[in-house]
Amino acid sequence: MADDSLASHRRDPIKSSVGNVAAQRRRQNAATVGKERRESLVRAKRLCRVGATGEGDVLVEENHMMTDEEGFLLEDQTSSAVKELKSAVVYQGKGAMQKRVNALRELRRLLSKSEFPPVEAALKAGAIPLLVQCLSFGSPDEQLLEAAWCLTNIAAGKPEETKALLPALPLLIAHLGEKSSLPVAEQCAWALGNVAGEGEELRKVLLSQGALPPLARMVLPNKGSTVRTAAWALSNLIKGPDPKAATELIKVDGVLDAILRHLRKSDEELATEVAWVVVYLSALSNFATGVLVKSDALQPLVERLATSNSLQLLIPVLRSLGNLVAGDSHTTSTVLIPGHEITDGVIKVLVKCLKSDHRVLKKEASWVLSNIAAGSIEHKQLIYSSEAVPLLLRLLSTAPFDIRKEVAYVLGNLCVAPATGEGKPDLIKENLVSLVQRGCLSGFIDLVRSADIEAARLGLQFTELVLRGMPNGDGPKLVEQEDGIDAMERYQFHENEDLRNMANGLVDKYFGEDYGVNE
Amino acid sequence: MEWNAETLQFLSQCFLHTLSPQPEPRRAAESSLAEAADRPNYGLAVLRLVAEPSVDEQIRQAAAVNFKNHLKTRWVPSNDPNASVTFPPILDPEKDQIKTLIVSLMLSSTPRIQSQLSEALAVIGKHDFPKSWPTLLPELISNLQKASQSSDYASINGILGTANSIFKKFRYQYKTNDLLLDLKYCLDNFAAPLLEIFLKTVSLIDSTAAAPGGGPPATLRPLFESQRLCCRIFFSLNFQELPEFFEDHMREWMGEFRKYLTTNYLSLESSSDGLALVDELRAAVCENISFYMEKNEEEFQGYLNEFASAVWSLLTNVSQSSSRDKLAVTAMKFLTTVSTSVHHTLFANEGVLPQICQSIVIPNVRLRDEDEELFEMNYIEFIRRDMEGSDLDTRRRIACELLKGIATNYKKQVIDIVSVQIQSLLSSFATNPSANWKDKDCAIYLVVSLATKKAGGTSVSTDLVDVQSFFLSVIVPELQSQDVNAFPMLKAGSLKFFTMFRGLIQKPVAFQLFPDLVRFLGAESNVVHSYAASCIEKLLLVKDEGGKARYTSADITPFVPVLMNNLFNALKFPESEENQYIMKCILRVLAVADISSEIAGPCIVGLTSILNEVCKNPKNPIFNHYLFESVAILVRRACERDTSLISAFEASLFPSLQTILATDVTEFLPYAFQLLAQLVELNKPPISPSYMQIFVLLLTPESWRRSSNVPALVRLLQAFLQKAPHEVNQEGRLNQVLGIFNMLVSSASTDEQGFYVLNTVIENLEYGVLSPYMSNIWNVLFMRLQNNRTVKFQKSLVIFMSLFLVKHGAQNLADTMNAVQANIFLVILEQFWIPNLKLITGAIELKLTAVASTRLICESPVLLDAAAARVWGKMLDSIVTLLSRPEQDRIEEEPEMPDIAENVGYTATFVKLYNAGKKEDDPLTDVKDPKQFLVASLAKLSAVNPGRYPQIINENLEPANQTALLQLCTTYNCQIV
Repeated sequence: MADDSLASHRRDPIKSSVGNVAAQRRRQNAATVGKERRESLVRAKRLCRVGATGEGDVLVEENHMMTDEEGFLLEDQTSSAVKELKSAVVYQGKGAMQKRVNALRELRRLLSKSEFPPVEAALKAGAIPLLVQCLSFGSPDEQLLEAAWCLTNIAAGKPEETKALLPALPLLIAHLGEKSSLPVAEQCAWALGNVAGEGEELRKVLLSQGALPPLARMVLPNKGSTVRTAAWALSNLIKGPDPKAATELIKVDGVLDAILRHLRKSDEELATEVAWVVVYLSALSNFATGVLVKSDALQPLVERLATSNSLQLLIPVLRSLGNLVAGDSHTTSTVLIPGHEITDGVIKVLVKCLKSDHRVLKKEASWVLSNIAAGSIEHKQLIYSSEAVPLLLRLLSTAPFDIRKEVAYVLGNLCVAPATGEGKPDLIKENLVSLVQRGCLSGFIDLVRSADIEAARLGLQFTELVLRGMPNGDGPKLVEQEDGIDAMERYQFHENEDLRNMANGLVDKYFGEDYGVNE
Repeated sequence: MEWNAETLQFLSQCFLHTLSPQPEPRRAAESSLAEAADRPNYGLAVLRLVAEPSVDEQIRQAAAVNFKNHLKTRWVPSNDPNASVTFPPILDPEKDQIKTLIVSLMLSSTPRIQSQLSEALAVIGKHDFPKSWPTLLPELISNLQKASQSSDYASINGILGTANSIFKKFRYQYKTNDLLLDLKYCLDNFAAPLLEIFLKTVSLIDSTAAAPGGGPPATLRPLFESQRLCCRIFFSLNFQELPEFFEDHMREWMGEFRKYLTTNYLSLESSSDGLALVDELRAAVCENISFYMEKNEEEFQGYLNEFASAVWSLLTNVSQSSSRDKLAVTAMKFLTTVSTSVHHTLFANEGVLPQICQSIVIPNVRLRDEDEELFEMNYIEFIRRDMEGSDLDTRRRIACELLKGIATNYKKQVIDIVSVQIQSLLSSFATNPSANWKDKDCAIYLVVSLATKKAGGTSVSTDLVDVQSFFLSVIVPELQSQDVNAFPMLKAGSLKFFTMFRGLIQKPVAFQLFPDLVRFLGAESNVVHSYAASCIEKLLLVKDEGGKARYTSADITPFVPVLMNNLFNALKFPESEENQYIMKCILRVLAVADISSEIAGPCIVGLTSILNEVCKNPKNPIFNHYLFESVAILVRRACERDTSLISAFEASLFPSLQTILATDVTEFLPYAFQLLAQLVELNKPPISPSYMQIFVLLLTPESWRRSSNVPALVRLLQAFLQKAPHEVNQEGRLNQVLGIFNMLVSSASTDEQGFYVLNTVIENLEYGVLSPYMSNIWNVLFMRLQNNRTVKFQKSLVIFMSLFLVKHGAQNLADTMNAVQANIFLVILEQFWIPNLKLITGAIELKLTAVASTRLICESPVLLDAAAARVWGKMLDSIVTLLSRPEQDRIEEEPEMPDIAENVGYTATFVKLYNAGKKEDDPLTDVKDPKQFLVASLAKLSAVNPGRYPQIINENLEPANQTALLQLCTTYNCQIV
């Protein structure tokens, strides 16, 4: 009786469903190989060319390319300005204070003059110890302001140049306190923001020296450039990858309220900076994510997305929304309940982003949708019956690769039921059939041909759904028509074992030549 | 192993002898090395020998090869439990020393030893890099910088080669955080030095090539090799995602990449191997830009236009040349990627498509001298590429891929242009067929390759031409051509067309050509007669709507004599002696045609004579497999018609089978046992003495030593047990059989086979015969249960107990078990039967175990006892689960032990002969529906004792199962009272 076939009649399960994969694709901060988000890189360091208070006295020459000669001249001037400052610092006689301020102002003027400030020359001439000295307690505001401004622009330079600020950090942080005048505190925050933007190592130093609480308190007021600068500096400071700072920030008294308030009411410029803070809070800290979700942060984000047309603002807001959805299962399960107003609102703004011309918005919106689509059956049906599907289908065949990949996750997730504990998830036949009828298969087969193995796996998983799930055994025919057999056969000897087995298994199972004899 | 003069002497001697042409000293040296390899520090000692300048170069080279292989098996030994040999791993202190020595040794050695050590290093790197080998990358980098300062390109290329092999893992592994952390580590350390050496070499090449005459080739060669390696490392490091460093320095990389595509290096390119070297670099560049084009198109788009035109003009040149394959292929792949991307509009301009078609596609599709050579010299490789899809990297195929790529966005235009091209190729052929036959070949190739593949190669479809009329006007004339040897490539192309489009060619048309196909079996060209055989074979598999075969035995029977004759004759052509396509066709014809004795006679003679021939030296496993399948199907189908033929078959086959057994043709033993099993089963008792000889042989432990024989031997043993139960019970044979069972069941990899033996014994022998052995059998099983309790074993045990119960009764089952140990029956029931019952799969097994379990709770006094009420209830709960839930809900995935058939060694493995297969017997033909059996039995039982069972059910069954049981009762109209 028990013939050789005893163990061999089991169905060969596809190892991971489309759904599981997408749900796990949260932020991968442990190792970022690629450029850290392009937008934030541009944001990381900022030169202060016009005074923070707006009363700059330097003639800023836009679009003026410096010649070499001018460059040398500038360097010479800088060296002598530092020398001048040195003697001013040493000088104890009459008008000493004014002399110092004048010297500082001259140096600051030189450091603000061009897009490429003569930082190297200033450092070589020994500017840092002098500037630190000028920051000493009890100095007049004007002196503090000029010194901090100089340091701001030095910190905007190359990595080593930023690092040169190390001796100045304790004093810069000290001047953030409530006792300082607003312009001084803001300028110090700016300098510190540049330092924090340099990288993990300097962020650690700043955090250990206690930069976070005073900066956090600076974002509590309702408006003003100080709030904006502080928010920007904070967004740099909590960038991680250690999530501790982000968690600490959200715990500071009043910060959560301030963030929500700014998101709701502030002008777009301030809202943009605050939204970046939310991006990092939600990208790094589970705690912060949970707090934000529970405090209804989704609502103002959705409103901003619905009403604003500023790309600068939309990008961080959309990314925050995505992080909140991906980062906390609570978001999809208890906040974004199908039928609630907020849920419809989210889908609507995501559709708006899918329609936008901007690639980042399309990609991020697809990512958010893919995570919502990994939720319950109701979530899937909600997306499925929304305006998003026709847009997604079009993107799958026309968009650039990275967007197509995100879109494929959404569509794939719409076709598989949520995994219930153990076992592989079932497919949702109606969605699969209709999406395939509307032509999505060729897009997935294209992914199978992709050099990107994650995309290829997704393509193969979807192909498996089609082969298994289309009624009347139509799956194989459809895959055939899209030249899918050929696409899968490329994996015959692929080095990735999983892909190879998956592809070969499908070809064997559904297209295997019937070796048996017709009995 | 200590490193001293003695060791040096010993190893040198051994390695010297391994190179000896004399087998004896060679084998002796090999075995002493194999023995020494188990000692600690062997690897280190061999590495030291490799480094010993006083030792002869060829000895050191042999030692380097040995060192590499030593690391392959022992650095991290395989933990496959079925591996034939397990090696002791190299210990950590030795590993550390090897890691300390190897980089500097590799760099200072001669090229041949260097390449071996570099591979060895890659073996270590695969497991240890980077986490357990933090010094490697810094060491490589500092050496690279040193070598770079002195422009020592032998060392530079050694280091780059090593880096290239250790970074390759980034090209195919999934993106996990661990992988990205490793990648980040490599990038942080190596990205900058890589760019540095790349740019340094750039300037060296530029300055060398600027010299009059283009610089000395000897200077340029290592520089180009170095650049190629840099490009390959670039590919690995960029594969997962675009690293920040590479994005920041894209301009530098791309600028030089473009230079290599657009610049000619005349002094190198004037020689063919020099040209190959430059082309390899260009091909590597093309791979990199294709990759950027696909994955990082946004960052890359600024460079796209210049690269597209560079590749285009490069291809226009390369396409005219008959070598330069790799470059042509990678360059066309780049254009294909562009054509399917968002930037496909580059192809939309007026005139672009026709030009691509004319100057790139057609020249690459056209037959080249190399193709003709391959067609004649190596027909197997030609077929593999031409017919079986192993042509992914050939120019012909990739040129068609390019067309397909363009067609994703410009389908109509492509179809129009290609149709015109096909027409013009055909009319050029028509003007002068013998001079322009390659044009026709090209046209046929285009139609076939641009068609969409369908299931299993059963057919294809195309929008390019009307298949029917193309077939009639272009293909049929070739197939009807009287000279089967004229223009063989054109004949092959036509046969391939017929094969590919066989589903679309109407039966009358195809059928008319059948005699022509048979005729082409006589063509001298190996490809042509192979394609003819393949075409016939595939035609016989064509199915119409509804799955009925299109060509039936009635259709082909008139042709069979001449067809068989031609097939056997085709096997006499030089190099076709073991032609698998022909053998497969023989198999298929035997499966379809009516096997009259007129056909069976010559066929068995033909097949056995081939069998005798291949026994001498089994070479082609596929051919041999089809050969045995052919014999099996011939025997099966002929005997189905006429049982008297069996003795004729025995007479023909026995000598061959005996030769296989006697001369121990390892590869064929599993086949021989399966054929014998088939013959035994066809026999009527009593079994003839010649079989009994084999039976005796079968029972000796020696026969079972090779694991590859086991499944086939079990199959044969089962056949004997069924056909000769009386003989089994003589001369202590049953003891021997049970000894075999004991041996098989003790190991997890063969326990299933052991149960097959045991089950057959239980099924075919009387209880009176079995009873003296039962204690022993239970002892063996309980022992195994104690030692190694896999789920598979427990399931097999439940099946065995069930079979015993239905054959010999519940009482005998309980008694024989309890005879081993008091009350063990109930323990086994509770601990193994009940929990494993719900895991049973397979229709026959499910019915068997369900019925047996039902009988237990309705018949067995132990279970009917009031004290056993809980066990009774739990057993019923399991039965209901088994019967009411679909398989996938009951079964949790269990990591399967690799099947014995997967234990691939260098010797034979077991391959099942489909046509000598065993029919699955249902031991319970009287019970049709186990569900009905369950509720009917329960109803009967409860009627005797009303009121007792509903309570037990209520207390012990899961609520879901109670509901399910109730439903079953309703369905079958039975009641548990």
